[in-house]
Amino acid sequence: MARDDVVIEVDRVVTRFGAQAVHDGVSFTVRRGTLVALIGGSGTGKSVLLREIIGLQRPTEGRIRLLGTDMWSSPPDALNAVRRRFGMMFQDGALFSSLTVAQNVAVPLIEHASVPPSLLEPLIRLRLAQAGLGPDAAGKMPSELSGGMRKRAAIARALALEPEVLFLDEPTSGLDPTTARGFDALVRSLVDDLGITVFLVTHDLDTLLTVVDRIIVLARGAVLADGTMREILAVDDPWIRSYFSVRATVNS
Amino acid sequence: MNDAPRDTRPRAHLERASDAAGDVLRLTGSWRLAGLETIDAELRALQLPARLTVDASQLAELDSAAALALLTRLPPGVQWRGLAANDTRIIEQVRSRIEGVPNLPPHRRESVLEAIGHRANGIARMGHGHLAFLGAAVLGIVGTILRPRRLRVRELSAQFEQVCLNAIPVVALVTLLIGVVVTYLLGLQAKQYGANIFVVDGIGIGATREFAPIIVAIIVAGRSGAAFTAQLGSMRMTEETDAIQTLGLSPLDVLVLPRVIALMVAMPLLVFIGDVMSLAGGMLIAEPMLDITPQTFLERLRDALDISHVYVGLSKAPVFALAIAVIGCHMGMTVERDTRAVGMATTSTVVQSIVSVILLDAAFAIFYQELGI
Repeated sequence: MARDDVVIEVDRVVTRFGAQAVHDGVSFTVRRGTLVALIGGSGTGKSVLLREIIGLQRPTEGRIRLLGTDMWSSPPDALNAVRRRFGMMFQDGALFSSLTVAQNVAVPLIEHASVPPSLLEPLIRLRLAQAGLGPDAAGKMPSELSGGMRKRAAIARALALEPEVLFLDEPTSGLDPTTARGFDALVRSLVDDLGITVFLVTHDLDTLLTVVDRIIVLARGAVLADGTMREILAVDDPWIRSYFSVRATVNS
Repeated sequence: MNDAPRDTRPRAHLERASDAAGDVLRLTGSWRLAGLETIDAELRALQLPARLTVDASQLAELDSAAALALLTRLPPGVQWRGLAANDTRIIEQVRSRIEGVPNLPPHRRESVLEAIGHRANGIARMGHGHLAFLGAAVLGIVGTILRPRRLRVRELSAQFEQVCLNAIPVVALVTLLIGVVVTYLLGLQAKQYGANIFVVDGIGIGATREFAPIIVAIIVAGRSGAAFTAQLGSMRMTEETDAIQTLGLSPLDVLVLPRVIALMVAMPLLVFIGDVMSLAGGMLIAEPMLDITPQTFLERLRDALDISHVYVGLSKAPVFALAIAVIGCHMGMTVERDTRAVGMATTSTVVQSIVSVILLDAAFAIFYQELGI
């Protein structure tokens, strides 16, 4: 049980680009059914770490296990099996530009799930609705969508196979505050209603304050702090203080 | 064998029973997207009464896809019992998401006639746009000649390096090989009549007047025309062209004119290289095949090849270059802002450039025929 409870396991990961070390022993675990945010200044390798967890980029050293599968030493079959169990939303959506929104959502369903034809359309409609999109968006091409809708369509595609873990790269960047808060509520409901584990990279303080269960702070190549918002604020570190002081200024 | 844990989960299954509550449908196992096909088949095979109790106390797992199947296939108003709290949330979430949502609008396909009309309209608009752009480019060139300081020398020389110097190896290689092949084919025929020496006339006039310009234009269309569209198209996607405009600069001056002028200067040079290389190719094969020594070849060439043929070939080059550069730049400057459009525009540039080069060549043939050159 305890083993199954840990969904993401990052163990002493080291990443170097040439002489420059981005990560120098990063370790943390993420438990099932939680909403965890990874934060850190620019250039601390948040996105790189995300790409390493989902198997797009190889870390120089260290181990990464996702849903019990070692992402960098497992056979291709096991990796393909695990790829069907997580979803990823890239920063700009990365929708397939030659397909409509509905066709984008249908791709994983047709490729990886044997959905009966009569249920395919209702299922696509459900996925769009779960991502907060109406049926009128279904026939649009990605180039016709606004930034927020593109992100929602990307979430719908990432949700298609009902993943156990969902990765989001800066889900609220480039969105207006109202849309961003709607997005936060959407992500929270995925965790609460569907039991999905969400791991996101963000810079959005409102997201951190309102919906995130746990925050992992990446700085100087390692995990600087790890815990709830309250615990993070208690950490005495100049970077953390300046990061969150912006918020305090607005409040006062 | 496979270490995916999902395979070991109990399969979704349902049983009919009746008890004090009436008809009961008992769900067991793991109801997930992976087993949706069986789930749906089993649900549809059932003849269900309108009053029904669904017993979910044995249910191991439920996801929203399976919940969707249940909600769509079961009659409305069934009673649920034994449903775990998180499964209730999933069912409620799915119900709230699908209730009152209309079907997806059907994917509309345009009819053949509609498609023809659309395409024809598109081509006409594009042709119109090309002509307008050509006008702007020519005005720009004239303006540059009148006010040479308007010329961006650094950009021009960078483009010239790209479209001319870097193109020399491929142009030389291709025209050399074409020269060999054409001379060989001419030689096969000429040999039968003992007219070996006239092969030199054939390759001399043919290469300089017609096929060196055409071959070079086709290479340039594929190399530089496509590159212009791709470069300007991606600059539009990253809003670089907009940045140029907001900085008070003209994209025409900064981006288009250097490319057009560079290509118009480069093409005659490339065609000249093409002339020399295809004649060299002819000379290479003439000796082993037709017993024409290089010296004889050159002497015959001097007698047979009037310099006007070379001029005719070279005179086409800047016109071809103008057409290719205008099409390439215009397609790039007007591309829609998505990745697919840039790819399609690049392909389109190559096709349009080659077609327009061939059409222009035909026009030149008639023109020079009438002039008697």
